[in-house]
Amino acid sequence: MNSSIGVGGMPAASWVSTTSVSASGKRIQREMVELNSDPPPDCSAGPKGDNLYNWVSTIIGPTGTPYEGGIFFLDIMFPIDYPFKPPKVTFKTRIYHCNVDSAGNVWLDILKDSWSPALTITKVLLAIRSMFTNPDTYSPIVVDIAHMYLADRAKHDELAAEWTLRFAK
Amino acid sequence: MASEEESKASPQDQKQQNPVAENGDGLFSPRFKSVAAMAGWDEEAILVAALVVEDTPDRLCKHKKRTGLQFKTPPSNSRRKRRAQRRSPVSIPIVVLDLDEEQSAKGESEQTKVEVKNVANEEKRTEEEKKTAGDELKIEENSGVSCSNSVLPCIDKLREELSCAICLEICYEPSTTTCGHSFCKKCLRSAADKCGKRCPKCRQLISNGRSCTVNTVLWNTIQLLFPQEIEARKAGGALNNPEESEHRSPARGSQYNVRTRSSRPSLASSSSQTSSTRRRGIPSQDEDAEHRISGRGSHNNVESRSVRPASVLQRDGTTRRRGRPSQDEVAATALRLERENLARLLGRDGSVRRWRITSNEDDDEDAVLALRLQREEFMDAFRENPDQSNRTSLSSARSNLRAMASRAINIRTRRHPI
Repeated sequence: MNSSIGVGGMPAASWVSTTSVSASGKRIQREMVELNSDPPPDCSAGPKGDNLYNWVSTIIGPTGTPYEGGIFFLDIMFPIDYPFKPPKVTFKTRIYHCNVDSAGNVWLDILKDSWSPALTITKVLLAIRSMFTNPDTYSPIVVDIAHMYLADRAKHDELAAEWTLRFAK
Repeated sequence: MASEEESKASPQDQKQQNPVAENGDGLFSPRFKSVAAMAGWDEEAILVAALVVEDTPDRLCKHKKRTGLQFKTPPSNSRRKRRAQRRSPVSIPIVVLDLDEEQSAKGESEQTKVEVKNVANEEKRTEEEKKTAGDELKIEENSGVSCSNSVLPCIDKLREELSCAICLEICYEPSTTTCGHSFCKKCLRSAADKCGKRCPKCRQLISNGRSCTVNTVLWNTIQLLFPQEIEARKAGGALNNPEESEHRSPARGSQYNVRTRSSRPSLASSSSQTSSTRRRGIPSQDEDAEHRISGRGSHNNVESRSVRPASVLQRDGTTRRRGRPSQDEVAATALRLERENLARLLGRDGSVRRWRITSNEDDDEDAVLALRLQREEFMDAFRENPDQSNRTSLSSARSNLRAMASRAINIRTRRHPI
């Protein structure tokens, strides 16, 4: 598993040849191909630079939500033993959401305890996208926002739309 | 009778007839024309239809015979019916073509079957293993090529379906969980070790990744459908884990034989190595360590198929060991025929391989090189491998068997004098 390739910077050419690449690298490469051939709606993702384990992704706020029209940037860090450990996904764009903390960390069950190696980054992106439409108010990381969502939905949506306008457009 | 003859006339005749009968007089009787008019057909359409019939290429004479077979209605005097008969090949030309090709293919395959059987028989009698095995190797390689060249319309779906959800590649040694999901054996073990004892797909509890054995049917199917991926992966695995390949090196030749579907040489070269696992029968739970030592050859499909007939047919342990070569030959021949059948079933077009190469040529390039190297290596090994010791042991085993059989017959005749 732990082959010569670490998370650190590596030349772009090195991961093209597959015989020397670790299983995680191979899998990430496959996911990249899959994502490019059949991208999920309103989502895009790809390696940031030469490092296959460090991706950047964008999600466009789905229509009908207060996040509509916003472009949210996310960082995806793959662990070396991916897919057996979940990728770390963080929002680089600020967002008013009860499942995203102030540092941008996404608190989704599938990115924590419920991770399964059969999940792919495509599915993760789709899950985040559905998080926009249906916040998980039962296990929020920002409790105030969850309370607001449950108590005063209109106010919550207003604030979320304001944040979207301010940070994501 | 006259009408029947007319309908059976050769296409050339009809072609000659047709230009003359441009006005339709020669071809259609006034009575027919009136009937056609009643049916609402204009003469032009009928002529066009007739021309379409004429335009079908040379196979027409075959169609004639075939229409006779396909339409069992007795030849009637009605020209309309005859016309229908004449037209019918136009609507099903592809079917007819397919039938022809299938028949010829069948003939070919039967021929090859007979050849293969002959080869096998010869092997049993004469003990020229080296030469015949070489021939077989060629045959097997051919069949492998035809298999990998085949086009299945649903090959993409199959690829998706037979992929491991963990590594996203074609399942390698798939093991199936109790909930019915299949993953590479290695992937499933890693998942069980690192992510808990739950199925990666449905999160059902799985007892233990280690208790999952290879799903033989699935594994064989995958090997038949995607031989190149599997070979590339085997080669890649050997290159990637040098320490493991060192462990495996004694059985490397046999492992390769399985891949090229030449089971005969594998028996010659690896019978001594795999005999321990063979006597054990079906691999048990502690297979991992032993497999690593005895080589991958122990869970190849030739093995898994040959074990059972051998154990069923031969009760005594010693005779089982001695009698194995012939048993294995039978099993191997059966396996080979089965593979050929499947290969034929899959067709013989070459575009899958091309497509595959273009789709992930980066992936394949190194793997192909590695594979070639390994193949060469194997060819060398094979030249040396069925050396004197193996051959003498095999021939002595056979002579022993023969002696035992004759002794048994003697005993029986002595007990029950006729």
